Amino acid sequence: MTTLLNNIINSFEQVVLEVVDTKEDIFRLVAGDCNWCKGLFPFTISHESFLICEDSPFLKDFLIDAKLIWSDTHNARIKSGFWTEVTDDGVELHLEAIAIKQNQQNLLVVSNQSEEFRLRQNTLQSARELVLFNDQLLERNEYFQVRLLTILKNPTEKNSVSTLVEIIEKAGFAVLIVDSDLITTVSNSAAETLFDQISSSVEEFEKPIDIIIKLLKDQLPEYERIMSTKSSWEGELCWMSPPATLKWLKVSLYPVKNEFNEVTNWIVFANDISNIKYLVQRNEQLAFQDMLTELPNRLSFWQALEKQVMLGKPFYLLYIDINNFRRHNEFFGHDEGDKLLIELGNRIKNSIKETDIIGRVGGDEFAVILTQIDNQEDCEKAVEYILNSTQMPFSTCQSASFNVSVSIGAANFPLNANNAEELMKFVDLSTYNGKGNIKNSLQFYSQRIKDESHHLITIEHDLKSAIKNEEFDLFLQPIVNLKDNKVMKAEALLRWCHPEKGMISPAEFIPVAEKSELIITIGKWVIARSCYLAQQLSKMGHEIKITMNLSPVQVLDENLYSYLYKCIKDYDVVPSLLELEVTEGILVDDYTKVENLLNKVRSLGLSVSVDDFGTGYSSLSHLKKLPLDFLKIDRAFVKDIANDDNDKAIVKAVIAMAHNLNLGVIAEGVETQDQLDFLTEHYCDSVQGYLFSKPVNFDAFVALLKELN
Amino acid sequence: MIQKKICLLGSSNVGKTSLVKQFVEGIFNEKYLTTIGVKIDKKVVVFENEQVKLMVWDIEGSDRYNPFQEKYLRGCSGYIVVSDRTRSSSLSEAVEIHMLARKVIDCPVILAVNKYDLPATWNWNDDGLQDHHNLFDEVFDTSAKSGENVENIFLKLVELMLKD
Repeated sequence: MTTLLNNIINSFEQVVLEVVDTKEDIFRLVAGDCNWCKGLFPFTISHESFLICEDSPFLKDFLIDAKLIWSDTHNARIKSGFWTEVTDDGVELHLEAIAIKQNQQNLLVVSNQSEEFRLRQNTLQSARELVLFNDQLLERNEYFQVRLLTILKNPTEKNSVSTLVEIIEKAGFAVLIVDSDLITTVSNSAAETLFDQISSSVEEFEKPIDIIIKLLKDQLPEYERIMSTKSSWEGELCWMSPPATLKWLKVSLYPVKNEFNEVTNWIVFANDISNIKYLVQRNEQLAFQDMLTELPNRLSFWQALEKQVMLGKPFYLLYIDINNFRRHNEFFGHDEGDKLLIELGNRIKNSIKETDIIGRVGGDEFAVILTQIDNQEDCEKAVEYILNSTQMPFSTCQSASFNVSVSIGAANFPLNANNAEELMKFVDLSTYNGKGNIKNSLQFYSQRIKDESHHLITIEHDLKSAIKNEEFDLFLQPIVNLKDNKVMKAEALLRWCHPEKGMISPAEFIPVAEKSELIITIGKWVIARSCYLAQQLSKMGHEIKITMNLSPVQVLDENLYSYLYKCIKDYDVVPSLLELEVTEGILVDDYTKVENLLNKVRSLGLSVSVDDFGTGYSSLSHLKKLPLDFLKIDRAFVKDIANDDNDKAIVKAVIAMAHNLNLGVIAEGVETQDQLDFLTEHYCDSVQGYLFSKPVNFDAFVALLKELN
Repeated sequence: MIQKKICLLGSSNVGKTSLVKQFVEGIFNEKYLTTIGVKIDKKVVVFENEQVKLMVWDIEGSDRYNPFQEKYLRGCSGYIVVSDRTRSSSLSEAVEIHMLARKVIDCPVILAVNKYDLPATWNWNDDGLQDHHNLFDEVFDTSAKSGENVENIFLKLVELMLKD
């Protein structure tokens, strides 16, 4: 029996010791007598009790943890982790110890883990080289992207082409700057080397950008969407050019846009990652695993999706994109961004069935195949599970709590598409369609989404023309002071007179402008025009304040204050004749930025009002601290004020609260005498609505002033 | 003979094992072989006519595959945090690791900015390094390849430990 046990223990490359004296660290050999064991514990040869001494410092140190187990009365075990010990005859041993308490017996098992050690070393070697390479790549890309974008967006004589050439030459990877037609304007020598086609004749030679575009078209279903929506992208492409070229490229595309949201240039980076791919291929697990989240990577997900399509059984594909991930990264830093991706990936994985398939398919994008779901209702339920898990708060390393929202696109196989490429294309489009929300959204692919996407592109195109052709006008709606029933100010409201379609509602074009950032350019026009109108009215002897609406995108624009200041100077308008209206939502979402901006504009002499008050969630503490002058009660509360007791109570409470905070109150949407009577009776300061006038053009407004004042 | 335990800490691939190998055996190997777990080397040095036996704990680099393990610092008399001047993130990681170590042990610490034989990375910031100087007892530029300052970091640590 002893020989048998000894043979078994030897075959496991282990030695089993029993504790004789825990205080003195004295042990006795129970089983195991292979050669390495004799080198490690020479005294075991005599089968007498022996002391584990300082000669093996790691093991000696581990005994401190082991004693906690041995002194306990319950069965338990603890592992030491790997360590490397060199015996007196120079042999390197890779060992692991396990302290065991079993039925009141204290045991120490030491295992020779050489095989496991090498396996782990090989895996981690590849993984660490990959991580290092990727981290360095990311760091370099980000640095050069920011530098090039700054230069390309603010071209000056100093930032000439020669400066660009000088910078990109230092990049150490291929950099191409192409124009909006994808014609290369500048490239570096690394690009020439990377896309060297030694065997090609002059006629066969393809330009690097043409190669990249071809690869993108062939290998990226999202390509059309990325180009049409002018989005950034980064990912891997495989360049095969027989007979001898096979390169894996990590490619990044970044659009450079002008004030009309038109792409003026694309910055293209390409890194040769063939060596890394080779490294990955040596380790099957890494080849198909995303290094950060340890979920299946894009390649692996694609294979799974294609396999699923081949099965022919209906399923749903989801594409999950984190809203405002870039802002999160900028605010908390990349490490926290990585932490969020890992946590979110885990949450999604834990909220789907084991038979479902998840992958990380882009920077902040995950995809899921709901393998057993064939109808929209069940898909909605599955998404609800996912959203329930993703909307729980996340926390940073510093224990700051935050929430994220996601946009989810969904498409059905085979209803929406019968191949992997189209399915991916459609879910990508559906996700993009839902983006821009700060809330969670789910969009199922449909013809409507396709049409809407086309409609958005058309409106955006028309908006650009509208800016260039000056098709906008500012209408003014009077705001009447209830103390003297005179017009004290007017809200400037944007109107778009389309040459073919006539008047287009702001509700239709403002969201498009906000999504495409054209709102910045349109907003600048509104500011300049408001200044001009205030100056004109003043010249006519009407000291009427013009209030202009700021979009949340505009409020976050770094140049807003300087532009406002410039317009006030250019038009020589008294700042107290201008007012800014911000929505309640922005006060909550970007409190610090808004506070800074509002403090600055108020010190200039402008006043500030909060638009649509009551529809958001601004807390009283925010309102108290923010530099505000007026609250505007949303028309929704004013509409039924004469009959609805709830609305009456709300409006009365808002007026009382505003007055307590020394804020004036303006009621919007006043259309009837009953509404006016109620508001007057409850000390509302000012009113605005069709009862007095709808928004009118400048000339009509001047006429109105003469009549009302 | 006095015996002291010292630990080498830092992110992976900064050159901890190479520094130990250069110190103990006077050898440098270009090939990077990642450390798994812990390897302990011993070397006797002489400081002010006194022999000191150093137990050098070369600990697997901290990264996403291997979080910092404070248990290995038990009984440690001094430690060297290693960063890599060809990778600027390794400096902030070194500071982070040092902060974690500080929570469990208060002993002399040296920052080794390794790979001095190679040019610093394009975004290496000496001012950034200067900001961290006061967090460490000493800061050395080292090269495990050329041997520059390798002996010095260990001897300096011995000096600090014996004074401590």
